[in-house]
Amino acid sequence: MIPTQLRTRLEQHVAAAVTSREAAVQVMKELQGHYGWLTDEAVGEAAQLLGLSPLQVEELATFYEMIYRRPVGKRVVHVCDSISCWAMGGESLLAQLAAHLGIGPGETTGDGMFTLLPCCCLGNCGESPTMMIGDNLYGWLTLEKAVEILQQESRSMME
Amino acid sequence: MSLQKGFMPKLIIDNIAVEVAEGVTVLEAAQSVGIHIPHFCWHPALGKAGACRVCAVKMVDGPVKGIQMSCMLPAQDGMVVSTTDQEAMAMRRQVIEWLMINHPHDCPVCDEGGECQLQDYTIAGGHGLRSYTGKKRTHINQYLGPHIEHEMNRCIQCYRCVRFYQEFAGGTDFGVMGSAGRIYYGRVEGGQLESPFSGNLVDICPTGVFTDKTARFRARYWDYDMAPSVCPHCSLGCNTVPAARYRELLKIVARRNDAVNGWFICDKGRFTNSVVNDPARPRYPLVDGRKVGWDEALDNLLLRIREFGAVHGPESLAIVGSSRLAMEAATLLYRLFAGIAAGSLCYFTLEEEADQARAAITHLNDATSASMGDVQEADLIALVDCDLLQDGPMMALAVRQAWRKGAKIFLVENDVAPEAQKGLPFEWQSVSLLSDIPIREARKPVIICGRGKGMQDVAPALTSGVKLAYLLGGPNAFGAALLSAGHGATTLAQAVASGKVKGILAVEVDIPPELLQGISFIAALDWRATAIVKAAHIVLPTTAWVEMDGTYINNEGRAQRFKKVMHPGLPIMGLDPAGHPPRRHETAPPGGEPRPAWQVVADIIERTGTERDVQPLSGQWQWLRHLDAESPGQRIWQNMKQVK
Amino acid sequence: MEQPLFRHNKPGRSVTFDEYRAEGGFVALAKAMQGLSPDQVQQAVIDSGMRGRGGAGFPTGKKWSFVPRNLPGPRWLICNCDEMEPGTYKDRVLLEANPYSLLEGMVLACYAIGVRHAFIFIRRGYEQAAANLRRGVAECLQAGLLGENILGSSFSCDIDVHVSAGRYICGEETALMNALEGKRANPRSKPPFPAVKGLWGGPTVVNNAESLANVPGIIANGPEWFKGLARTPEAAGMKLFCISGHVAKTGCFELPLGMPLGEIIEGPCGGMRPGSRFKACLPGGASTPFFTEEHLHIPMDFDPVAKAGSRLGTGGIVVFDQDTCMVAATLNLTRFYARESCGWCTPCREGLPYVNHVLETIEAGKGSEEHITILREHVKLLNNAFCALAPGAMGPVDGLLRHFMDELREHIVKGRCPCKKDLCQN
Ligand SMILES: Cc1cc2nc3c(=O)[nH]c(=O)nc-3n(C[C@H](O)[C@H](O)[C@H](O)COP(=O)(O)O)c2cc1C
Ligand code: SF4
Ligand code: FES
Repeated sequence: MIPTQLRTRLEQHVAAAVTSREAAVQVMKELQGHYGWLTDEAVGEAAQLLGLSPLQVEELATFYEMIYRRPVGKRVVHVCDSISCWAMGGESLLAQLAAHLGIGPGETTGDGMFTLLPCCCLGNCGESPTMMIGDNLYGWLTLEKAVEILQQESRSMME
Repeated sequence: MSLQKGFMPKLIIDNIAVEVAEGVTVLEAAQSVGIHIPHFCWHPALGKAGACRVCAVKMVDGPVKGIQMSCMLPAQDGMVVSTTDQEAMAMRRQVIEWLMINHPHDCPVCDEGGECQLQDYTIAGGHGLRSYTGKKRTHINQYLGPHIEHEMNRCIQCYRCVRFYQEFAGGTDFGVMGSAGRIYYGRVEGGQLESPFSGNLVDICPTGVFTDKTARFRARYWDYDMAPSVCPHCSLGCNTVPAARYRELLKIVARRNDAVNGWFICDKGRFTNSVVNDPARPRYPLVDGRKVGWDEALDNLLLRIREFGAVHGPESLAIVGSSRLAMEAATLLYRLFAGIAAGSLCYFTLEEEADQARAAITHLNDATSASMGDVQEADLIALVDCDLLQDGPMMALAVRQAWRKGAKIFLVENDVAPEAQKGLPFEWQSVSLLSDIPIREARKPVIICGRGKGMQDVAPALTSGVKLAYLLGGPNAFGAALLSAGHGATTLAQAVASGKVKGILAVEVDIPPELLQGISFIAALDWRATAIVKAAHIVLPTTAWVEMDGTYINNEGRAQRFKKVMHPGLPIMGLDPAGHPPRRHETAPPGGEPRPAWQVVADIIERTGTERDVQPLSGQWQWLRHLDAESPGQRIWQNMKQVK
Repeated sequence: MEQPLFRHNKPGRSVTFDEYRAEGGFVALAKAMQGLSPDQVQQAVIDSGMRGRGGAGFPTGKKWSFVPRNLPGPRWLICNCDEMEPGTYKDRVLLEANPYSLLEGMVLACYAIGVRHAFIFIRRGYEQAAANLRRGVAECLQAGLLGENILGSSFSCDIDVHVSAGRYICGEETALMNALEGKRANPRSKPPFPAVKGLWGGPTVVNNAESLANVPGIIANGPEWFKGLARTPEAAGMKLFCISGHVAKTGCFELPLGMPLGEIIEGPCGGMRPGSRFKACLPGGASTPFFTEEHLHIPMDFDPVAKAGSRLGTGGIVVFDQDTCMVAATLNLTRFYARESCGWCTPCREGLPYVNHVLETIEAGKGSEEHITILREHVKLLNNAFCALAPGAMGPVDGLLRHFMDELREHIVKGRCPCKKDLCQN
């Protein structure tokens, strides 16, 4: 069950849209924000809010890169693996980060803190290599810098 | 390109001049002169998608040039098309190779083998050697219910299934998930498909992703006995092709008839084979529960009828047919009735069904009767007193097509029970009276009537230009109503109410127990193990529709011929191993005694001595003999001056 | 050098509404509302010769003119800010610095085409830009520059910001319309073209953010001014070039169209980074065939770049130095496209993984001459895909085959990757 406040806000989004379907991505993202990932329950709730069947929500949810249909850590670390970052050593960065966290790409650390995901160009090519955590973009990365950012992120989660 | 009405673009395809109607695609134009261009995603009922890219042709000259997808391109004046151009062939070959990268090489164990479009094109396109050495993509399959098997690894992502299921049929529990190379067609979780049209996935999938679970691994395409047939499960008369082997009805697929069912059929029509194959259905003539030969059974029947007549008077015998009895036998019933001077002739059991069928033959004529093709083209549809998904599911699909094209659908609320409004695959507006619907403002209005009192309101609404469709009780309800009216027949309910019926000769009819009280003699002809068959003193087994030729007149007055698909007999599948191989040597297969109802009735007539060499469909019905099963059928009005 | 898009920029932060207005912002809008007809606005954009900045380079004014004049029912404008093509980040830089010229340009475009309701479709990850846009919309509404009766005129229009959830294909204009409608973002077939039948079946114009942000300048200063900004007489306007890779100074620069490639690298980018020599570049984003040293003199404008065998694309220049393995670089690009395929059509969905497989085989030193033939065939046949994604994906492969055949063959002959860079460990 989602809090009434969130439900009301989502209902408003749906009502304001030209057709209720138009609000689908926003509804999915906000539900994901609430649960941490788009849980089965969230798919059902989205369907109900949007007047779609759960399958029709699933058709959309599985299309997008940034909708997670599996549990993820508290922070998802998206490491760009596209051309500019690749040219600037993004591939090694991903490998080093994976080694540092002790997980493979696509996996979540044992403490449930980080999920490591390679992702497509983050539009920060001028500062490559790049990663995104939450809504924040980080550029000019080295392993040391990336590790420091991860530490900051876990500290901010603890608070 | 001219937009004048009636403009016919002229083009040249492989040096053949072709003229087609405007809007027709190059692919269809080629088909019209016998040039088959391979295609997966294009389907005549679903239209273009442009997804598979296998229908490539080369446009040599004209308004467009180069490699084009023939399914996406409307034929235009001056086009010069080559289907045999090297570049076009290279593209088509490559598409097949791409699709075969991930398709398993499992034709020998795939139930689609032999009727698989992918297999055909792979062979036709000459792709035999594999240069891709990577791994194949694999998927996990889902349980989709008892009827349909799911094998996602075979998928070539043509999107036909989801386009049919969601767009054409309005289902919402099956669709396409994922993206890129991870496209998956299925449900959120395994479970029975909800759409009453789900079985069409089997027909529409060009490869073996969806196969008919009820018939899996039983036969190859070339083993099937097949013939054009008509569905007996409701009054709409959808066209089918049943496939049988070893005296077993294996499966039923849809057969195209644009005026009736289009390309599809409903699940009720597709997945109800078990009655035909039931080892316990009437297979032998029985007298007082004792297996006898045909001669003995018929002699006995005649003897009983005479004895019965001597005791109760011949007028206390009722001869009862039904809306599921084919025309051949139905037309003979009157001759039997007259021959033995029976008291009652009934084509319907209950008043309600008879009333409704009577209304249909009264109000319908060639101009007013709406085919399902007409329903799809309607711009306004009024639903009066009908339970579409119960009494004629394909009609609901036809209404949906009209709705998708923008037709307004109205439902007379008072007349349609709430449970009959569930799951209808279209949106409608509720009104309380038929007269509230702006029928006069529509160009092509259609009223669809079910059973019940609502139909009484329909007559006043019948102004010019309105078409009408009825959902009747059985596959030959229309024919039964014509015969009933023509011979002044009553219903069994009325005859019983008058108190004079003491015996019943039931010909493929279900009779509710309350009408059997006080009946001292029952003879039953049937192929189903009904209650009346169980109660009968004499049982004469008849053939199912797939075991004979016959004719039904559907709800719109369209006569359609169906052909014999298979011999009657116990399916090998159901034989008791102890009794196999048969110890006795006979020419007929075990359980092969059933005969078409009309033949049995003809025999009885002949034995009464009133007629010899009795043939069905004589007199005003003679024209039905020439009906071609491969044709779209014929409406009665074109063939009979005076119907009643 | 005049920089119509960047002239309002403040170092380290985005320009405020008041600053933008004080420095000549919304002058064009006022001019239009007070004295120009929609046709005049459209004509000015036609006369300016501006070609779309989203990749295909279609003349913007001409696109507007395709919208039927008197069709009843709503029509739509969509600003395409999906920007997920690797090597491209100009729209982010533009909007993080200043959302107002885009908003002003959109209102002008809506006025010219007769649109009441416009959308900005912005990708996931551009949260700062999206926040700027939302704030800008609110400020403009407040100031009467958006909403009912703009600047007291009879013209009204609204702008919605729609944030996507990440898929490159959403940037393709017809896929974008499906995405906006809340459907799976598969492209739609053309015809019908969006200008006739687009969003929710209504006439629709899709323009890139940079294209629309240039409209206020054209209206305020006139088409001739805009034309004059470019370096060559054939080109029109300034262009946002975003450079990444092995140059000394990466970044997004507003430069005159027609500036030669070499000059961009030597000038604003300060040349190659220490120790690096120029080997090749993608001149206009991930879908464009490579340029090499022999192309450094090419003026960076649509036609000259096309004539030299590539495309100006998005203006995203990715520069590679001498140590880059071009097979590996191409493989990185095709992997991106294979992953971002929407999965609708066979050539893209099945063909791109095939190309990956072939490039992987070659890169691993297990390639043969036959693989080169397969790549050639795919460059040709992937043009027959449903949308421009798959042909775009083959741009770099095409460049590889035309300019780096020796390097490709060396992989095959030596049975290993001949490059030094630690990226290629084979
Ligand atoms: C796969 C693909 C992705 C695209 N992505 C973008 C994009 O992110 N932004 C954009 O403006 N145009 C993109 N385009 C081009 C658009 O389809 C369209 O041409 C453009 O938005 C038109 O704007 P313009 O006329 O202002 O250039 C893409 C095209 C394709 C085929
Ligand atoms: S080329 Fe085909 S599969 Fe690829 S993105 Fe376009 S439509 Fe989708
Ligand atoms: S290539 Fe990495 S941010 Fe663009």
